[in-house]
Amino acid sequence: MNQDLEKLISLHDLDIMILDLGRTDILQQEVRLGLSPDMALTELTTMREQLASTIRKRWMSLYAQITARYDNAVVPVIMQRCSGCFTRLPTAVSSADDRNEQVRTCPTCGRIIYWAD
Amino acid sequence: MNRSCYCLWDVQSTDRSAAMAELLCSDPGLGEHTRELLLRALEAREHAGATLVSPGISMPHCRSLLVEDFIVILGRSRKGVPWPDEPARLIVLFVSPVKPSGPQEHMELIKHLATKISESGQKLFKARSEEELAEMLGFRLAGSGTDEPGS
Ligand SMILES: [Zn+2]
Repeated sequence: MNQDLEKLISLHDLDIMILDLGRTDILQQEVRLGLSPDMALTELTTMREQLASTIRKRWMSLYAQITARYDNAVVPVIMQRCSGCFTRLPTAVSSADDRNEQVRTCPTCGRIIYWAD
Repeated sequence: MNRSCYCLWDVQSTDRSAAMAELLCSDPGLGEHTRELLLRALEAREHAGATLVSPGISMPHCRSLLVEDFIVILGRSRKGVPWPDEPARLIVLFVSPVKPSGPQEHMELIKHLATKISESGQKLFKARSEEELAEMLGFRLAGSGTDEPGS
C-alpha cells in the first residue's frame, strides 16, 4: 500500500479517537473504567500533529478539504462502490493491480478511497 | 449485548504490541494489511495511555475506518502480558466501526464491559473455557452458534 495512503488512514483513525474522547458520554465511560481520557486526548493530539507533519502538503490539503465537507474523508471500497457515496467505481479503477499504490479519490464525491484486503 | 467474539485461550506473546497482533490474527476476517493498520491505531491509543482497566485486565480499543462491523477478541495469558507496568492476564480487545451510529454504539460497548468487569471481577480469571469467558462478558463465541462475528 502507498505510504501516503497508509498515513492518511492512520491520521483518520487518530482523528476519530480524538473526536471520541471529546464526547462527554465516551469520556465518562472511560473514566468509569479507571482510564485517563484527558491525558490520552492530549497525547493523541500530539501524535496526530506529528503524523500530519510527515504527510505531504498536497494530501493534507486534500484531507482538510474533504473533512470540511464530510465526516469521513477516507473510505473503503466495498463491492466496487465508494462506501462514502455508494457510487459504483469505474471498472478500470476497481480492477487496477496497483489500486492501493497511489492516493485515489472517488470520482463522484471526492473522498479518498482504498481497497481493504 | 448480543455480540459475538473470538477468543484466544492461551496468548503466547510477552509484550503488549505482540499480544495485540496475536489477538488480531485470531479473527480470520481480517486481512494482513488491515491487521497492520489496526495494530497501529491500537498502539497509538495504548501509547496515549495504557488501557489497564482493572488489576490484570486490559482493554485495548478504538474506532477505526478499517472495520465494517464490531470486532471483539478476548485473550487469556497465564503468565500475564506486561501492560506495560502491570501484567494483563485477560485482554479484551475491541474495535468499533465508523458509521453514523458508531460513537453511540462504541460508548455502549464500553459501558457494557465496564458493568460486566465490575460485576464479575476476579471471577473472570476462573473461567474454565472460552465459551464461559465470553458468556461472563456478555458475548457469544464466534462459530459456537448461528451468529456472525460482530452481530
Ligand atoms: Zn464517493
